[in-house]
Amino acid sequence: MVGPVRNIQIDDDVPSLVKEMTQDAINLFEGSAGQEGPSQFTDEDAARETLGTSGTVASGRMSLTFAIEMLRIYFGGDVFNHSGVVDLRFLRPVRPGDTITFTGKVSDMSKDANGSKVTVDIQAQNQNEDTTGVGKGSAIVPNAYLPQEE
Amino acid sequence: MPETDNKIPLDWDALEVGETFEKFEYVLTQEMIDCYREGVMDPEASFPTIAHKVDVRQYNAKYTDDGSVNARCAFHCYNPPVAGRKLTVTAWIADKYLRRGKNYIVTEAVSVDEDGRLIDRVITHELKQPSEVGKKWGG
Repeated sequence: MVGPVRNIQIDDDVPSLVKEMTQDAINLFEGSAGQEGPSQFTDEDAARETLGTSGTVASGRMSLTFAIEMLRIYFGGDVFNHSGVVDLRFLRPVRPGDTITFTGKVSDMSKDANGSKVTVDIQAQNQNEDTTGVGKGSAIVPNAYLPQEE
Repeated sequence: MPETDNKIPLDWDALEVGETFEKFEYVLTQEMIDCYREGVMDPEASFPTIAHKVDVRQYNAKYTDDGSVNARCAFHCYNPPVAGRKLTVTAWIADKYLRRGKNYIVTEAVSVDEDGRLIDRVITHELKQPSEVGKKWGG
């Protein structure tokens, strides 16, 4: 099945994604995998002991998930869920109460055996405009989804 | 918390890149998926396997250390997992490195479902001195 044509160009902005981090969200994320017991993500004492922070932090994997969501919406699940990659470095802790904004910009397009590999530079910033994460994501967009070359 | 009696204290210098852990199997339930989607505030989130941290699960079952902080993580999407299917995870030590005097371990894992469908690949760089977070970023 061929989806809608994507007119993707280098320097295109990817629609941003904003997430409000809460302790409940962190607890659900950790609990979804059956991870029980106190951890640096769910318990302030454990965070203090392990990390030396006064409160809990969110797993970097939550930021990874949000970056994946942003790119899934941009590329479409039919493309991203079968060829998507996100590689994120975590620069600052994300804590309950933070508002994190994920942004992306198309930085490269190259021919691939199965279409065109589209690469996006990704940045995550908190409400103080501190960068919490940076990285890249990509997906292989089938040729049938792209405008035909003249 | 898993048992610690039989765990091996991590000797970073002795840890071998390429060490492959025992395969790990679990059934991804609809309840797990629903809980994950609520936590990440995305009703269409397709890879709840991210929360299972399967790349470090077998490492943590074998070794004991001072904890860790995720410094970098890459996730490759191949096919969204389906509720009720058993997933088999193969995980290994992909690399280790020293940067600015800090020890890092890179773990990698691939998940496959019971029908042989490749689900995802995750590669994680963990800083093995987690107290550096508090030192750098304070309370």
